[in-house]
Amino acid sequence: MNMMPSAIAQARSLRKGGEEDAGHDAGQTDFLTIRGLEAGYAGTRVLKGIDLSVFKGEFIALLGSSGCGKSTLLRTLAGFAKPDAGEIRVAGRDVTRLGPDKRGMALVFQSYALWPHMSVAQNIGYGLKLAGRAKADIASRVGELQMQLGLGGLEQRKPAELSGGQRQRVALARALAVQPDILLLDEPLSNLDARIRLTVRHEIIALQRRLGTTAIHVTHDREEAMVMADRIVILNEGAIAQVGTPQDVYKRPASAFVAAFMGAENCLPLSIEKSGAGLHVHANDLCEGASLPIPSNPLVSGPVEARFRPQAVELTPHQPQTGTEPGGDGAVIFKGRVEQTSYPGGAWRHVVSLGSHSVVADAQRSFAPGEAVNLRVAAEDLFLFSPA
Amino acid sequence: MPPKAPRNFLGLVLIAPALAVVVLLFLIPLCEAVLGAFRTDAGFGLENVSKTYALYSRDIAFTFVIIALSALLIALISVLFSGYLTLGTNARAVALLRWLYRWPLFVPFIVVGQILRTFLAKNGLMNNLIVSTGAVSPMDTIGFLDWRGVVIAFVWKQVPFVTLLLAGAMASLDRGTIEAARNLGASRIRLLLEIVLPQVASTLMVALTLSVVTMMSVLSVPLMLNPHSPTMITVNMAFRINAYGDYGVANVLGLVSFAITGLVAWIYLRATLKENIR
Repeated sequence: MNMMPSAIAQARSLRKGGEEDAGHDAGQTDFLTIRGLEAGYAGTRVLKGIDLSVFKGEFIALLGSSGCGKSTLLRTLAGFAKPDAGEIRVAGRDVTRLGPDKRGMALVFQSYALWPHMSVAQNIGYGLKLAGRAKADIASRVGELQMQLGLGGLEQRKPAELSGGQRQRVALARALAVQPDILLLDEPLSNLDARIRLTVRHEIIALQRRLGTTAIHVTHDREEAMVMADRIVILNEGAIAQVGTPQDVYKRPASAFVAAFMGAENCLPLSIEKSGAGLHVHANDLCEGASLPIPSNPLVSGPVEARFRPQAVELTPHQPQTGTEPGGDGAVIFKGRVEQTSYPGGAWRHVVSLGSHSVVADAQRSFAPGEAVNLRVAAEDLFLFSPA
Repeated sequence: MPPKAPRNFLGLVLIAPALAVVVLLFLIPLCEAVLGAFRTDAGFGLENVSKTYALYSRDIAFTFVIIALSALLIALISVLFSGYLTLGTNARAVALLRWLYRWPLFVPFIVVGQILRTFLAKNGLMNNLIVSTGAVSPMDTIGFLDWRGVVIAFVWKQVPFVTLLLAGAMASLDRGTIEAARNLGASRIRLLLEIVLPQVASTLMVALTLSVVTMMSVLSVPLMLNPHSPTMITVNMAFRINAYGDYGVANVLGLVSFAITGLVAWIYLRATLKENIR
């Protein structure tokens, strides 16, 4: 059952073809295509025009906070919610109006939704029974899945007699038994305790790679999405905020929302001027002036929102600038005062105030509250966004 | 924290009124009825029992069959109704059924008897309607004022009650268990029989047990819809007491109905115990 982590990593790097891969390989044909999908209920539009292409065997994570529409998108894909507009195609076939069982998709529910009156074997084999498969066929397929998922010897147990992790695997086995083209996972790990969750994560990835099943995984857990998915779809208020590989969305967030969602919670106002050579950051109360390379996202001269992660900060004791030298090439240096210091593990965490603003910064050594500090953020770790 | 003994005493005081009601209004009359069943002019004996057997064995069998048939029909119709309320896709039809089905709950048995007496009679509303469609001539109409009337009355009155409990239990199921089966291709009838019903089986058992007890104690319906022999034992009991002042045979009939409801309760308890052990 347990696939070696290195094997998983290898499978992933083969799939992605290196870190800088944009993710969606143009050479691959789209397997699942979503066009202009809109859905909602009781007058509220939950999905506002979703366009997405997924290729065969890909693992997609739908990531977003609660209420962003990720579960509605999954339920619309599965056929449990009717879209108001748009279309869903699987291998070229329009499935938009088909019933949940006619789409070649199997859904793993957040609650697992196992049938409490049926044994493990009956739960796993029910889909095959519905398909009219012979008893011997069903038994052998169920046995095979039990082996693959580490459920050997549990066939006679009822769901109430299983641990959370085992239930989760039964739910997965039940969905996989019918050999779906697309596996839909609705936060399947959120009910597991933290330690089991890490194991099951890797088990799901390994299984999905081995079977080559296309998977759409809904989660609100950023790390889970990063670890599991080939590509991440970040949803915000019913629309796609960004689609890309984990590296893409982490290193090149397309909007302030994505940056914040991916951990760049520190937010400070800056003023910039764009020129042919690069970007000039004007000195203000918070920072020294600096010259930066022009980032990939569109920016206009004027006020911008600067975002960065606590880990991206290089914290040093405050040193007054000589005045002639700019704050730095390829980095911005902010000036602040330490307010709080704590140790959450790994590094010291500081809350630093900059005038009326405050940010969180990590450092390998601790700085005492009240100490004046410089916060150096390198250009590649600083995300700038012009106001919308 | 108060000392243990006074606290126990306070507990006893609190349950005393309820206990007194149970003892005075249930246990003592029950013992009295049991003893009365075996009390004869010549002391205690089985005379009342043999008399009851000679006079009313057909009625006892009739009662048993009517109750069993009614319970079966109630179960069947309630499962269909609550199943439709839970799985129905036509929102308007579901809303209409939800609004309609509860009405009989608020109609007393005696009114049900009265309504059905005029409705089911040979020249009643039902036959008039059938005749007006031209399907049957007035000469060929059949009155339903016999065992069928009793069954129809019981079913009409108890289906809403069982449906109410069953639909409530179905509504509180994890919706995912239904969707998971739909996702794998289960038809509506399979969803009901293989997924939903097994999960609410204990509620169905409770509702049916309560219905059987209710039907066993109804006097007005058999009296009004089936006044001839054979009839239900409630009618016999009333007749023994009112016409002859024969409490001995009435008490034996009472024990018989107690035995029938006891049997149902035993089946129910066995089922729930099994479930709890699991």
